[in-house]
Amino acid sequence: MTIRRNWQGWALVGPALLVTLVLFAAPMVMVILTSLHRRTGGTTDRTLSLDNYVRLATDSTIHQALLNSLEVVGLTVFFSTLVSYPLAYIIAFRVPVKWQALVLLLTVVPFWTSYVVRSYSWLLVLAKNGVMNQSLQSFGLIGEPITLANTRFATVLAFVHFFVMVSTLTIYASLRQIPNNLPLAARDLGASPWHVFTRITLPLSIPGVTVGAFLTFVLAIGDYITPQIVGGGNELLLPQLLMLQVSRRGDFPLAAAMALVLLVIVAAVYAVSAKNLTLERRR
Amino acid sequence: MHKTRITVSMATFSAAALLLASCAGGTDAESSSSSQGASSDAPQELNALVWCDHTDPALLEPFEEANNVTVNVRDYEGTGVALGILEQSQPGDWDVFVIDSVDVPRVAEAGLLAPLDKADFDFNQFFEEVQLPEIHEIDGQLYAVPEKFGYNTVAFNGANVDAEKMRDLSFLWDPELAGKIAIYDYYIPVMEFVGLELGIEPQNITVDDLPAIEARLAELKEQSAQVGDVVSTQTALATGEVDVIVGGGEFSTSVLNAENPDLDWILPNQGGIRWQQAIGVLAGSENQDLATKFVQYIVSDEGQAALATSSCYWGMPANKDAALTDEQKDILRWDEQSGFIANSYPYYIPDADLDAAMLDVWTRVVVG
Amino acid sequence: MKLLRGSIAWIYALVVFGFILLPVVSLVVFSFQATNLPLPPFAGPSLRWYEALFADSGMVEALRNSLIVGVISAFFSTMLGFLSAYGLARYRPAGAQATRAALMTPLGVSYLVIGFGLAITANELALGRSLVLVTLGHIIINLPLAFAIILSQMRDEDETLEKAARDLGANEWIVITRIAIPVVLPGLLAAFLLSFTLSWDEFIIAFFLADFDVTLPIEIWSQLRTGLDAKTNAAGTLVFAISVVTLTLAYVLNRAVQQRSRRP
Repeated sequence: MTIRRNWQGWALVGPALLVTLVLFAAPMVMVILTSLHRRTGGTTDRTLSLDNYVRLATDSTIHQALLNSLEVVGLTVFFSTLVSYPLAYIIAFRVPVKWQALVLLLTVVPFWTSYVVRSYSWLLVLAKNGVMNQSLQSFGLIGEPITLANTRFATVLAFVHFFVMVSTLTIYASLRQIPNNLPLAARDLGASPWHVFTRITLPLSIPGVTVGAFLTFVLAIGDYITPQIVGGGNELLLPQLLMLQVSRRGDFPLAAAMALVLLVIVAAVYAVSAKNLTLERRR
Repeated sequence: MHKTRITVSMATFSAAALLLASCAGGTDAESSSSSQGASSDAPQELNALVWCDHTDPALLEPFEEANNVTVNVRDYEGTGVALGILEQSQPGDWDVFVIDSVDVPRVAEAGLLAPLDKADFDFNQFFEEVQLPEIHEIDGQLYAVPEKFGYNTVAFNGANVDAEKMRDLSFLWDPELAGKIAIYDYYIPVMEFVGLELGIEPQNITVDDLPAIEARLAELKEQSAQVGDVVSTQTALATGEVDVIVGGGEFSTSVLNAENPDLDWILPNQGGIRWQQAIGVLAGSENQDLATKFVQYIVSDEGQAALATSSCYWGMPANKDAALTDEQKDILRWDEQSGFIANSYPYYIPDADLDAAMLDVWTRVVVG
Repeated sequence: MKLLRGSIAWIYALVVFGFILLPVVSLVVFSFQATNLPLPPFAGPSLRWYEALFADSGMVEALRNSLIVGVISAFFSTMLGFLSAYGLARYRPAGAQATRAALMTPLGVSYLVIGFGLAITANELALGRSLVLVTLGHIIINLPLAFAIILSQMRDEDETLEKAARDLGANEWIVITRIAIPVVLPGLLAAFLLSFTLSWDEFIIAFFLADFDVTLPIEIWSQLRTGLDAKTNAAGTLVFAISVVTLTLAYVLNRAVQQRSRRP
């Protein structure tokens, strides 16, 4: 009986595993292999060498790009979480239950516009004669238009814009899974609303926060479009440096090495947060 | 009950599948490969690797209609990118190549370009200064034809910046322009331009000059609000985000002149960099005759007029007889060209090592 | 005090929603711009950019390509996700944990790296870039999600239904199509729609893998790189409208199906 179960189980899972092998595992092996080649003159030298890794370790431009990426993504994770937590809380506990799905939907719907066009829209909203400057001026908050577009601020703002939606969803999911009787019981036992929040709600919502933060981190650190469109070329993040290697130099080996750096960083972050990375209802 | 749900879902999926099949069928019919030229109804295809000024439908459509051809274009930001694309492609993937004139020798020597018959072109039509047989020919064999030229210099908003001050290249580093500059992100002309300010002529640049150029470039980056490609720098100038484009020229402003006549460009006293594009047929092309016809169209009077005023950026046509209006010629400063040509330096293309070193400097300055 | 806290909550929610809507409203409003640039002042409204959009065969083709790639890749992601979720949940073969981990791994890899990897591999195999490659790329990024969503919908309780069916003599095909699939149908739909939505607007993988037949995000990107005008705003608004209509349709269909199945 077990043998039949195994065989059939594998037959069902097989196709997906095969697809993952061919479309994911094999290309990743190719990336590792390519990172061991070298780009010299105008051709690719296929003798295996660690030159690219030596370069990664010593080239200050690459270090700077990596640092820029970590800083920008760090700011993004921080502010997205900060802004989305209260929103998720409000939706989970202040909005009547039957409307919650609709409100969540309204949070998501604006992101069904094209990502590329939305990024350009941010550029124009933040322009010197754009909506934001004009509003700030009309409210008397500033005298002259200020530079908002083409800055790190613009990149972080555009990122936070998207990831607030992601984190709101994950934190909401966590908050809704807190059994209703827990806070009630605590109140009955004399706990203040603040205590209920800090001792019960907040700790139990950590998985949602962690999942949201992790998703934000993974998606943001590999994102090429947002910094490219709204950052104005004033600083380069790692994805942009990678694309530069691909497009301007045709240096796929170095680009592959950079891609692996991205992978390793994400793996490290995963390892650190793995315990909390689940939204499953604890049985 | 379950039956109904399944029926609905099955019906939906089948409908979707049918829809897919019909659409997929359509896709197959349209994307005929270029070797299928025999069919009289399906248009032939020509694949061209070009600068963005060749993507304008106004340029391509007359040729496409006259010859029942679809011209597929992919544009690139610099020769390095184009060569990378060619390397990643299979032979026969590309038919036409638009390339900076200064890059023609090395590309022709690498065997990538097909030889062209000089009899197919009327060289009397071209401005003498752009004919440059020494780079378009190898041993008397023609490989590419000049098609367009212009300048990497300074473009600016005349309403906010004094044109006379712009005649001194050093003014770019003046505190008055702090935060008001956009740098065009093509590293070769911009770095050579910076070199001019330091008194170094482009053809004399060596690796030893790079530290000085890097320092000056870094100072310029401090002054600038952004580094961007053709369109993002144009947009920044048009929206008032910046007042000057370093490395810009008529190619930045002419296309915007209609909406804002204050946008202008000038060659400073220290000189500017002159870019020039040529067009050729790729050796691996399976449509050499058609590709040659396209090249002939591009250098024809009508083609040249469309190319000179193309939607991505304008420039001077190589063909003196290009069918431009007087107004268009004014915007291009047609009558001042001989002076400009005399005061400008053609791009100097560094060898592979110097090129890599320059790109390293550029990336180091831009990474922030 | 409670009233103050309540109003703070609502003000906060409104401000955040305003922030979320800001670029989108700008995008939609300026798609009706009468002059060239999608910038204030708004000299509208005008439909000229929608006309330009539909006259632009490049955009229309790209739109069609995006739809095809989206539907096909979503279909295969969902199907593969379902089969593997079903196989793991019901059969629990040896190595189930490892299999789950393996199927989920692509989620942790940036699209940039996946697209880059596929591009290098295709080049090694002398496979030309095409929409087929783009579809494959989208399948691999959506498969883990589809798998996770459907797996989370498979509860142990439903297994008894299947066991009962088997006891009554039904073969596997019937068990799967008549019982397993209908039970997780909401999950299947959710997986399909999410996969479609993610494929539809995906840029970087398509950018690496497409050649001249491009998807909509690539076409928009190309147009934005050769000249800024409000036509891309019209494209963005259209993308938005299609998404809204699709999901409303899905919701209505789902409700209708549920209503009918409630009738005795």
